Amino acid sequence: METFLADLKATPLAQYLRTSRWGYAAVSAAHILGIALLVGAVLPLNLRLLGAWRIVPQSDLVRVLVPAAVAGLAIAAIAGAMLFSVRAQEYATIGFFQAKLVLITLGVVSALALHRGYGFLLEGASRARLAGHALVSIACWVGALVCGRLIAFVD
Amino acid sequence: MKKLILAAVVVIGGGVQSVAALAHHGWAWTTGKNIELSGVIKQVKLGNPHGVLKLDVAGGTWTVEVGQPWRNKRAGLKDGDFAEGVQIRVIGEPSANASEKRLKVERLFIGNREYVLYPDRS
Repeated sequence: METFLADLKATPLAQYLRTSRWGYAAVSAAHILGIALLVGAVLPLNLRLLGAWRIVPQSDLVRVLVPAAVAGLAIAAIAGAMLFSVRAQEYATIGFFQAKLVLITLGVVSALALHRGYGFLLEGASRARLAGHALVSIACWVGALVCGRLIAFVD
Repeated sequence: MKKLILAAVVVIGGGVQSVAALAHHGWAWTTGKNIELSGVIKQVKLGNPHGVLKLDVAGGTWTVEVGQPWRNKRAGLKDGDFAEGVQIRVIGEPSANASEKRLKVERLFIGNREYVLYPDRS
């Protein structure tokens, strides 16, 4: 693990980002774009699963918001890995960073389990099952966002 | 499902417990008044998102925040100016939390040469 983190930090991309002004700013902005897309999709979808906007068919929302969330997660993860590489060993020891990775994993596992059981469109799942997932999902993604932001506020 | 919720709560709680210090971003966490420190650099971490030095000062070790690479370069600093063992004098704002020996630098002196990191604040 230590070797991996050291190797990551020594990559040319990490070295470039460590000293670049606008390159680092651009990756930072991409990370925020990914998070905005992800959380902006996950929250309304989960609120629908909890019973909000019943007038809108659930499957219509799923078709739009699930791919948006996946795209957001992919952008945030790629940009996030680049930001991480700049100070890999230090970030790896921060409690908020570790908590954030656990929350992201839980959020992804919860979503995969739900879709595995009820398909892409989540048809046939009980209200209780959907609501249970929605609560976990909201806690995970909002929690991950907060933990991520707090990384900048600790040593 | 209940296990997942429990796990999430435990994880968030664990993260909160590890809160250590205040922000680096901006100046909201500092006192608003400059002080001066002189000492010898004993540790250097430069690069994005923040450059940080450990400074041996009479009375203890201070954590001293210098600029990102572009800010240090604009001030005229070169790679290697911040090196272990170098005597340095820094002027900047300390943390408002008096128990924390942390200072954000506005300008600094190495030898007789002045380097200004924040020209608008001096």
